[in-house]
Amino acid sequence: MESLSETTWDVLISGTGLQQSLLALALSRSGKKVLHVDKNGFYGGPDAAFSLQEAEDWVKTVENDTLTSSLFCNVSITSTPQPDQATRSSDSARLAVSRAYCLSLSPQLLYSRSALLPILVSSKVFRQLEFQAVGSWWIYNPLKAVPADASSPIEHSNSSSERTEEAEEHRRREERPPKDRRGELRKVPNGREDIFKDSTIDLKSKRSLMKFLRFVADYESQPDVWESQASSSFSEFLASRFNLPLPLQTPLLALTMTPDTPVETTTGFALPRIARHLRSIGALGPGFGAIIPKWGGGAEISQVACRAGAVGGGVYMLGNNVEAVNLKTENETHTSKRDGGESCEGLAEVQLQNGDKIKTKWIVGSDYDLPALKATSGFGKEISSTRSISVVSSPLPSLFPTITEGAPLAAGAIVVFPPGSLSTETKDVPGEMPPVYLVAHPSNTGECPDGQCVLYASVSAESSRGHTLLDQAIENLLESVDDESTPKVLYQIRYTQTSASSSSDKVQEPEAPPPASSALENVLLFPPPSLDLVFDDSILERVRTFWRMIVGEGGDEGDEGEFMVFEDREGLGVDLSDDE
Amino acid sequence: MSESTGATAPKPSSSVKLVLLGEAAVGKKCSLPTRTIKFEIWDTAGQERFASLAPMYYRNAQSALVVYDLTKPTSLTKAKHWVAELQRQASPGIVIALVGNKLDLASDFNSSSEGGLGGGSESDGDGLNTEDEENSGDARKVSTAEARSYAEEEGLLFFETSAKTGTNVCEVFTAIANAIPESTLKGTRGPGGAGQSGLGGRGDDTSRVSLTGPRRDAGAKEGCAC
Repeated sequence: MESLSETTWDVLISGTGLQQSLLALALSRSGKKVLHVDKNGFYGGPDAAFSLQEAEDWVKTVENDTLTSSLFCNVSITSTPQPDQATRSSDSARLAVSRAYCLSLSPQLLYSRSALLPILVSSKVFRQLEFQAVGSWWIYNPLKAVPADASSPIEHSNSSSERTEEAEEHRRREERPPKDRRGELRKVPNGREDIFKDSTIDLKSKRSLMKFLRFVADYESQPDVWESQASSSFSEFLASRFNLPLPLQTPLLALTMTPDTPVETTTGFALPRIARHLRSIGALGPGFGAIIPKWGGGAEISQVACRAGAVGGGVYMLGNNVEAVNLKTENETHTSKRDGGESCEGLAEVQLQNGDKIKTKWIVGSDYDLPALKATSGFGKEISSTRSISVVSSPLPSLFPTITEGAPLAAGAIVVFPPGSLSTETKDVPGEMPPVYLVAHPSNTGECPDGQCVLYASVSAESSRGHTLLDQAIENLLESVDDESTPKVLYQIRYTQTSASSSSDKVQEPEAPPPASSALENVLLFPPPSLDLVFDDSILERVRTFWRMIVGEGGDEGDEGEFMVFEDREGLGVDLSDDE
Repeated sequence: MSESTGATAPKPSSSVKLVLLGEAAVGKKCSLPTRTIKFEIWDTAGQERFASLAPMYYRNAQSALVVYDLTKPTSLTKAKHWVAELQRQASPGIVIALVGNKLDLASDFNSSSEGGLGGGSESDGDGLNTEDEENSGDARKVSTAEARSYAEEEGLLFFETSAKTGTNVCEVFTAIANAIPESTLKGTRGPGGAGQSGLGGRGDDTSRVSLTGPRRDAGAKEGCAC
């Protein structure tokens, strides 16, 4: 087999995060020689998923790695002392073996209208993935604030078959001595029918909500209604235009999954997201609009994409860092004049950690996968999110009711703690507080053993305040679920993740072409992964742009084919006689 | 592989994920006996070259084929490494078959293949051949006895095959199919058998969402996928 140094590579991709991996997938049928490395010993980079042991290793790595620590900081793991066998506690009260877990740095949900899904299908990699439905959106409702409503809790189910079950459950709960609950969860109505049935909303408010839902279903054609307020507060817009009071705004804001305070969340941000949510429901099956990949979210997609890259001939090396990049190398005049009109005249020389020195036309990576190249990538202003991943000692079944008849089992639930619901300090003004999101993944995601559940928590706040909010949210959630005893957090990873503000906080503008500074025209950099809890479709535009640059414009569509549209491979790697 | 079961073959009722490790030039397409098991074969796509196999590769694999080249002793060492890796990474109940390939290059090939070498167990006497291999045109460097005793130690199925002639290739798959406990075989489609995590969790269809159409079409559309 040829050594790495003897090959003239078309592309060196550094990092196996989702963006780089999707590029590898895009290039997998291009005939280009692709070397794909990752400094980590695992796939997925900042989108990886970990066993407990791998998580521990990751924490150590982040602490020692100056590049990665620009993305992740304040990383720590706590795990509660394990009950000893003598206490006869159930298995769910104990952490299982390390490999029973698959804790994801990229648990983002994908709406069924996401542009990623047709790409996974047309590139044929969807066959190696398994998708599951995100079920309910819940809003945490502190009881002190609205004691009057406590008489009609959760019961807004949209399926009659399940209604009795829930009522039964409700009755059981009533019979027990009241626990000192601080709050309860309310399901966000899943469409108009639910709103009609909802007994907690008065008729006038129902009318206002309906009016808004009708508007948002077709907001694009009514710019006169909203465009003048696109960059001002969505909350204000709802109040002034649709006469919706704060309590009714809460579920709408929850659907936007905005990281920002209600004051900062703009109409131009919120409308497309609510529309996306509503339009996605039913597209892939009844009653749900969002899905997640089983086995660790984005991490799984990145592995599948890399595998496609490998099947296409790409060479994969984990645990191999790019140590130095020398862009000024000899001009390869012989190879530069090929059809396709490649823009690059020379080859970059790259020093890899394993000692190999390789030559390549293109280098693709990111600020955290490549050594400093003088010019920074310059993607938007820095933003960050405080996050935790918790393993809890209960499957939290009440979070995952039947979606609707004929729907798949729910494999995810979103719990939103609206601003103010967790207010700990009197000086906090709800409108100026960020919401807290808990995304719950049950064991059928493959992320934890049966009997347990994983909670992905995030809030847009600095670390110490952020963790105070997250911990309180988790505590309140666990207390509000109807378990015999309050479930416990068995294990927790805490971290702060940094990114750059993306285009998504503006009104849907087409993504600007990537910055390609003249000195580094053969170096293509991806921005840090988005902090959005929803898969960021703008990734795909950049992947497509990079793919086109690498395969060559050529003028006509002939050579490079259509983006991510591939035929099935004969036998899909099944032909055993294939000698590689 | 799945294609070659032919149009007349009964629809497979179970799907088994099989991962393929070791020396690349392994076998040939073989016509599986039309048992109602469909092998979903995953090769390493070269990712093993720099020990860069993704966890998804091992995930829920119910069976593995670890192949060495019986003319290259180093390849058995490598195979042992893969077996250890499988024992570390894969589901605990995985059925592993150790396969020595290139049996056609061994001097005992003709006699044994004509004798219908079934189950890989008839070529016991090979240890004797190693001395005079050069003279007899025998390229075998790994004796059957050595490999088998290792396989027995580790609880692996063991076969020697020739990908070139197809000798024993189908037997390997049949033996694997027979070794997979009935309880871990789950329907390729349709509900049922869900809920239990662990080996063969891919059958957990009750939570599966199909990207290629509304749920009711899922079976029909995906049925032709390899």
